[in-house]
Amino acid sequence: MNMKKNRSTSLLGMAFFGPALVLLILFLFLPMLLTLVFSFTDYFALNPDLTHFVGLENYFTIFKDDLFLAAFWNTVKFVIIIVPAQCIGALVLALLINKVTICKKYFKVAFFIPVVMSLAVVSSLWMQIYSPEGILNTMLGYLGIDAQPFIYSASQALPSIAIMSVWQGVGYQMIIFLGGLQAINPALYEAAEMDHASGWQKFKDITLPELKPLCVFVFITVTIGAFRMIVQPMVMTGGGPSHSTYTLVYDIYETGTVNWEIGLASSMAIVFTLFVVVLTIIQTILTKDKEDKDARKKTKTR
Amino acid sequence: MHAKKQKPANIILAVVMFLLSLFFLFPVIWMLANSFKTDAAITADMNTVKAFIPPALNGSFLDNYITILTDTDFLRYMVNTLFYAAILIILGIVVNGLAGYALAKINFPFRERWVLIIMMLMIVPTETIITINFLFVAKMGLLNTIFGYILPMIVSPFNIFLFRQVFISLPDDVWEAAQLDFCSPIKYFFTMVLPMSKTVVATVSVFTFLGVWNDYLWPSLVFTSSDLLTAQIGLNSITSNDNTTMGQTLAVITMITIPVIIIYALFSKQIVEGVVSTGSKEG
Repeated sequence: MNMKKNRSTSLLGMAFFGPALVLLILFLFLPMLLTLVFSFTDYFALNPDLTHFVGLENYFTIFKDDLFLAAFWNTVKFVIIIVPAQCIGALVLALLINKVTICKKYFKVAFFIPVVMSLAVVSSLWMQIYSPEGILNTMLGYLGIDAQPFIYSASQALPSIAIMSVWQGVGYQMIIFLGGLQAINPALYEAAEMDHASGWQKFKDITLPELKPLCVFVFITVTIGAFRMIVQPMVMTGGGPSHSTYTLVYDIYETGTVNWEIGLASSMAIVFTLFVVVLTIIQTILTKDKEDKDARKKTKTR
Repeated sequence: MHAKKQKPANIILAVVMFLLSLFFLFPVIWMLANSFKTDAAITADMNTVKAFIPPALNGSFLDNYITILTDTDFLRYMVNTLFYAAILIILGIVVNGLAGYALAKINFPFRERWVLIIMMLMIVPTETIITINFLFVAKMGLLNTIFGYILPMIVSPFNIFLFRQVFISLPDDVWEAAQLDFCSPIKYFFTMVLPMSKTVVATVSVFTFLGVWNDYLWPSLVFTSSDLLTAQIGLNSITSNDNTTMGQTLAVITMITIPVIIIYALFSKQIVEGVVSTGSKEG
């Protein structure tokens, strides 16, 4: 009787989990496995019969390929501009909104609006903003600054797109930081006030340490997000001018779905995935460490 | 809690913040104001503060919007996207919800190991597998079909995990009582489990909608040229058409943004909670 019941719950479990499992295997697990396998072959989708095993050749090829290296370097540049700007911007906005007492709700909504707009929409909008005779150049003109080419110049296109991306994304991390700020025990600040701590001391000794795990989380997610950059350059510049905004994921996309060189694209995708996985592992270790310490502290005080 | 009278410092902070928010939102304000203007008016207003002020209400106020809705297929693209979002919300809740329930409550072989695998799959970025999925869909002859677009998007390790975390705290005795009443497990799931978990169902629905509505890469691969385009891809084909004026472009991107603003206004609580929970879960 009991065994029969066990077997029927097993069947029920598999029946509930089954549809998801089939789709997971077909559209997530198998593609991952094939990406890894294809990265060791010269698979060309327009002529699949001529596929050979080539070992690590694709990996040597891409790291000698000027375009891939340029795309990689551009991606790093995006990360270097976006990550500090977006993380610090989000923290500052969250601190200000946490402090403001009038129309708090309006400010929360106002800075979050670009987050709900899509990448394609924001890119199309900022193409108009950045246009040579556009509103931004007009505003700069009033400040006595000459018209800038923005996305139409090889030196300014990348920073222009990076700033736009920060503008769009900063509200998301702001909301995360606000949640963290509101979770800090107010008694900590009250105690500090009794010791006549200055605003800066309170920030340095209470707010920052309390927010540290959240900072790690925000830092890593923004880094991964910047690493995945593709839609903005695709819509705004097509990767140009002269490949100055061509990114790693853009290269994967073009090599795989435009040139059909699945083998090469797969090896690029594996390199890209390795970076994302390493970043995620770093985040897990850093936050785990903190949790362990917290747990130890708690057991000690008990 | 606070005294009614505000301290001067608070008022100054609020005023500074308000100016900052205006500066922050200048592209959006400019977009809204100029979506009602002709290109001649946009250029003429550019040098004055009128660039941020909509034109006077008159007969031609909505011309850009009317032109886009009548002369292009944009309305159809929006309806398409709503339709895809509706299908993906329903299928996503059923497939991921059932899986989440199995992983939370039903004892079946290797359950804990599946949970671990799902958590690991959450790390994989879509960009890694998009090429192979495109190849799959192309080989199956499903390019430019609704199936080809929807099939790979139904399952989400993240949503399975989210459902599991919520279902795991549901009481067991209801399930046992339901079994005594010979309630079928499927019926129990739809009539008891889902209604008891309205918050997570709402969160998953809202994020699925926003994901489908705002997605660009996958629909741009699957739909090349057809009546099936989503709004985001349609936006690209409309704005890259030389006949489209700047005002019309701004009208299109305003219209495409309106549904997400409405969703945000209705579900801001769920969205903010969802965003904050991604932070607190990891942090």
